[in-house]
Amino acid sequence: MTRTTASMPQGRLIKPPSLLEVEHITVRFGGVRALDDASLRVNTGEIVGLIGPNGAGKTTFFNCVSGVLKPDSGRVVFDGHELGDLPPHRRSRLGLARTFQNLQLFSGLTALENLMVAVDARSQRGMLADAFRTPLARLEERKAEERARAVLHFLHLSDRADTLAGDLPVGLQRRLDLGRALVGRPRVLLLDEPAAGLDTRETAELAELLLRVRDRFNVTMLLVDHDMALVMRVCDHIYVLDFGEMLTQGPPAQIRQDETVIRAYLGEAVV
Amino acid sequence: MSPGLRRGFLAVVALVAIVWPALLSDFSRSLATDGLIFGLIVLSLVLLTGFVGQTSFCQYSFAAVGAFTVGSLVAGHHWSFWLAMPLGVTAAAVVGALVAIPALRLTGLFLTILTVAVALFFDRFVLAPGTWDSYSGGLSPWVVGRPAFLGVNLDTSYRFYLFVLGAFALCSLLVWNFRRGKTGRVLRAIRDAEIAASTLGINLTAWKLAAFATSAGLAGLAGSLLAVSVGSVSTGGYDFIHSLGVAAVATVMGVSSVASAAAGGLFLVYGPEILRRLHVSPQWFNLVTGALLIVQLIVTPDGMVTDVQHKLQHLLQHRAARRPARAGEVDLAVAETPAGARGEAAATRPVRTGGAQ
Repeated sequence: MTRTTASMPQGRLIKPPSLLEVEHITVRFGGVRALDDASLRVNTGEIVGLIGPNGAGKTTFFNCVSGVLKPDSGRVVFDGHELGDLPPHRRSRLGLARTFQNLQLFSGLTALENLMVAVDARSQRGMLADAFRTPLARLEERKAEERARAVLHFLHLSDRADTLAGDLPVGLQRRLDLGRALVGRPRVLLLDEPAAGLDTRETAELAELLLRVRDRFNVTMLLVDHDMALVMRVCDHIYVLDFGEMLTQGPPAQIRQDETVIRAYLGEAVV
Repeated sequence: MSPGLRRGFLAVVALVAIVWPALLSDFSRSLATDGLIFGLIVLSLVLLTGFVGQTSFCQYSFAAVGAFTVGSLVAGHHWSFWLAMPLGVTAAAVVGALVAIPALRLTGLFLTILTVAVALFFDRFVLAPGTWDSYSGGLSPWVVGRPAFLGVNLDTSYRFYLFVLGAFALCSLLVWNFRRGKTGRVLRAIRDAEIAASTLGINLTAWKLAAFATSAGLAGLAGSLLAVSVGSVSTGGYDFIHSLGVAAVATVMGVSSVASAAAGGLFLVYGPEILRRLHVSPQWFNLVTGALLIVQLIVTPDGMVTDVQHKLQHLLQHRAARRPARAGEVDLAVAETPAGARGEAAATRPVRTGGAQ
């Protein structure tokens, strides 16, 4: 879709509007280079995949983008703003949301509360307004609940609204984690191995859900996953990471046939 | 629990709490008063341990800040209690925020050890005779009289009890409002998954500081009330062992429930008293609490009060399930059904909800 620029004559190539640009990121853990000069760009409306074998640096890359980890060099530019040292909560307010491989749900809160927290995080209301239940607090409370219920409904989780997140089955926890990231209406959603722990059928459902999410929430996504079926199904563009370096990039059809990718990633299965 | 039922239940509790102590002896009434004050300290732990998930062994040090501020200003400088008390609460909150600053980088056990260090620092240094006698009173305790409230002298035990009851109810309402509002959700979210909370846009530093300061402020209020309740302030009443005891009792009752505060506070004063009536030395009280703690951790890990609440809730939900669905829920079900299938949905609805009609 947005890839049409690739078919244009070279001389008229227009730089597409990148929503997220990661430029020359390097991260060292002791003597090991977890990421070595890795770059990536995500255009508005795209679903971009980041794949690579275990230990290739995918999660490290993610942590740099979401602000959990500070890279040794390189920069992250989001919608024209260089993010620099911004802490995670500030990045989130700019419209950068993420999900977690190990979920990190608020297990002691109900499904509804998990989503309401995401709305709460955006409001300026402090403890004082809560203590005296000011009209503003009540209004915001009602709005937060409405918003959370709407997202629960979209994810077909309405009947689990009052279940503690920790008591939900894994498949539904994944959906709730996704919902929590969506509640704040992010512009870019970082998905860290959303198919981990799901079976084939659940993964297929997830792929459809992600496409539905893009259309409904108008959100651009960067997706890290092992599951080739999922990545090939939903991604417009794929980057391949190996030993901390970007090996190659291209549309799914091209990546599927790329010799270096097959050797590095699909590895033994093909050789 | 449904709001209506909860309101009814609270009305009964309030009535008992107001009327019953009028029938007690002066001594029992002052025990109840102190119980409510200890309840405030348990309440401060409900906020800190129950919401943020942080164990603290220095709540009595925060209480001491409130008590000694009132003691030194009222007894030493002839201030009014009504000026000294807010200052004591504020000072305790500031100390709480100061403790929270190193606490921001520590979690779990290490933070708990930090709170132990804070408690010992107050015991052995700040309040020790010779360090700051104009604050701690040195070797002689501060003697503080009862204040008047809006022109009413609080010198009788029943009046003072009602005053403390009012303060306790107000603070409980405050914490309850936190619990059901944004504050409670955000703090419990931080407790469950810190990193996820921060990537959602929650400022961990600000919220943790606020929680520590508020909790310390509550304990400080308890301290300043204790000062005028007992009538004197001396260092022995605020040592580390007291902090340990109140943390244990809060755990036994259940730190996630506001109701635990009242139960915990009353247990702290009536526990030793019951032992005395049974001709057992009240010194055994700590042992009883310890034994109870072990039993509770095995049988009801969430705490005794919390357990009772859950059982009640289950019981009520079972009954509610048999009642017809509320109008709003039915409307939603129809709205979600495609137009063609609506007749079918309407036909099945009476079957689903018909039982109680």
